Amino acid sequence: MRRFFFLVYCFCLILAFPRSSFAQVRSTIAPSPSVSPEAEAVASPVPAPDLTQKTVETLGPLEELLKNQKLGSIWPTNPIKYAIRSSVDSGIPVNMIVLLLLLPIVATVIAATRHLIGLRGFGIFLPAALSVVFVATGPFVGIILFFLIITVSWFVRFALRRLKINLQYLPKAALLLWAVSLGVLGLMFLSPLYKIPGIENISIFPVLILTLLSEDFTRISLGKSLKTAFSLTTETMLLALLSYFVLTMQWVQEYALLNPEKLLIGIGIIDFVLGKYVGLRIMEIWRFKKLIKS
Amino acid sequence: MKLSSILGLNARNQLYTYRYNTKKGRKICNSKILTERVLKKADIPVLKIYKIFRKPQDVFGFNWDSLSSSFALKPSRGMGGEGIIVVKKRANPETSGWITTQRTVVSIDNLKLHSLDILEGAYSMGNEPDVAFIQEYVGRHKAFRKYAFRGTPDIRIIVFNKVPVIAMLRLPTKESGGRANLHQGAIGVGVDIATGITTKAIWHGKYIKYKPDSERKLNGIKIPYWTSILKIAIEAQIASEMGYSGVDIVLHPEKGPMVLEINAQPGLQIQLCNVTGLRRRLNKIEDLEVRDIEHGVKIAKALFAERFASRVAVEEGIKTVGVWEKVKVVSEKGEKIEVQAKLDTGAWKTSIDKDLAERLNLSGKNNILWTKFYKSGLGKEKRKVINLSFYLAGGKINTTASVANREGLRTPLIIGRRDLVGFLVKPGGI
Repeated sequence: MRRFFFLVYCFCLILAFPRSSFAQVRSTIAPSPSVSPEAEAVASPVPAPDLTQKTVETLGPLEELLKNQKLGSIWPTNPIKYAIRSSVDSGIPVNMIVLLLLLPIVATVIAATRHLIGLRGFGIFLPAALSVVFVATGPFVGIILFFLIITVSWFVRFALRRLKINLQYLPKAALLLWAVSLGVLGLMFLSPLYKIPGIENISIFPVLILTLLSEDFTRISLGKSLKTAFSLTTETMLLALLSYFVLTMQWVQEYALLNPEKLLIGIGIIDFVLGKYVGLRIMEIWRFKKLIKS
Repeated sequence: MKLSSILGLNARNQLYTYRYNTKKGRKICNSKILTERVLKKADIPVLKIYKIFRKPQDVFGFNWDSLSSSFALKPSRGMGGEGIIVVKKRANPETSGWITTQRTVVSIDNLKLHSLDILEGAYSMGNEPDVAFIQEYVGRHKAFRKYAFRGTPDIRIIVFNKVPVIAMLRLPTKESGGRANLHQGAIGVGVDIATGITTKAIWHGKYIKYKPDSERKLNGIKIPYWTSILKIAIEAQIASEMGYSGVDIVLHPEKGPMVLEINAQPGLQIQLCNVTGLRRRLNKIEDLEVRDIEHGVKIAKALFAERFASRVAVEEGIKTVGVWEKVKVVSEKGEKIEVQAKLDTGAWKTSIDKDLAERLNLSGKNNILWTKFYKSGLGKEKRKVINLSFYLAGGKINTTASVANREGLRTPLIIGRRDLVGFLVKPGGI
């Protein structure tokens, strides 16, 4: 539970600093060579610098969309739309509202892949948090960071265990953070040498979230086998990338902003139906294929 | 097989474990110490717990030398057989500690460190602080000695609504390190609920016929005490207050079947080694009113018997014989003379040829019981009835037989159905 609140807190922090986190996607994605074509297609029509700086007079594309939508009366179909407009007028960034509206979609996508397909991953918060980290840092840098942090924290725990050093929980966690900070610092010191694109945009919150996530990985890799941990990590990565693409798809963003009521109700219904689904998962059909054939 | 007869994770959680398992039951199952306490109270055979360590002081304050030569050190809330050390004898010299089932030596210091690890939560679900305990050691029952590699095999039985639904024998392998957990490389062997005979074996998700690196067949193993194993599983399910649970039972070489632990969310691989869908089986018994344990066993044996089960029952209780059998007739002097006989279910009584009876001195005056009129295909005729003993298919039968003139017939002896109780006569030879 504690971890859950911390994650929520981090989300809020990331969302509250759109200029330093989310908005960077716009500036980092386009030049990044690693990003797949869809992401570029999403990012290319956006005039990047305009969105990040509030002082510039021009309106961002999302704000423009809001402005151009014709609305009827508030009730019964438009209450959230009006609420969005008034909050945007009072200075709340549109990006944050869009991200908040998209988070339920991400959660649903993750739940659906678990219950319909059978990808396990590390729970629901880890992939969701990772996808937001990807949005903040760009997927390439996000993956590098993720693996760096996982490797460092796994190595520290493994070494402590091998050397049979028993530490209390909090000092051990502090030691982990010490190692992770050193690792990330090292990465940053190396960036001028190797010119990793986008590395200069890393903010502290993605690093903190990733550190938190690495705990789950090391726990499973030490408790169970490294193989399980790796397959779970790969699955988490896949889920996070999938969620990332959902988060950055332009038409999804626009739809969420223009039809928040429909979206929220629809997602709620999908969640409910998913929760009641008792059929086989696709991966289970594969697992039991010999039974089905017999 | 239809998709709908297979039980997936979604259905298991939603339709069975959430719906039928109480919160209290889950609490009992998640703690092995609580499980032991509850089962012991209900008089169900369960492995003894010698000592519980709740705090680090308990570990240091304990006199480790007082332990016997074999025991198991386990975490209470461990998962998947992790964090368990099993020792089976003292090392030589004794001060150096014990020898584990994996043939390594552990010292008292090793055990202390391991206990502290457990207390810290190294092996518990969610890494929460845990409790360590020392439990009775169970060796391998001789029925499994040749099949399991350095570990204790166990029998997983899923019990639902007081009916054992599906069963699996889990055999540790070299790879699983003595653990009977399928994910760690143990072999799962399907077991016929009606007879306790193994069917198909699965290893790493693939069907195998022989124990790895050997020519020992894995099907056809008969698990001893099968019916009492089923009963104990049902009792444990009832005592733990779980509607749907997987009961793990070990066979103690001397004490017989005992409960090892109860699982709140038993795995689904069990369907593969039984080549059957669990969901269809569960559907069949969901709404049944099961009166008691005996009733539950009866239902399970009737509903979930493999195809070969009826044949096994026939072979065990009833002997199958052909129409033409060689029997040994006991003469007056006690000699056994082999005679060809016809097993005739159309006749009520046994009948022996006059000449044969005379030759064996059986139709002497003191052996004749009475004379009686008989109706036969030859008309009405007066026959002597004598005492007769003969051996059929290894068993001795004492009976009476009428003496008739069977000259010209195929056999000098005809055995009627009165003397064929306990046999199944199979026409066309066996």
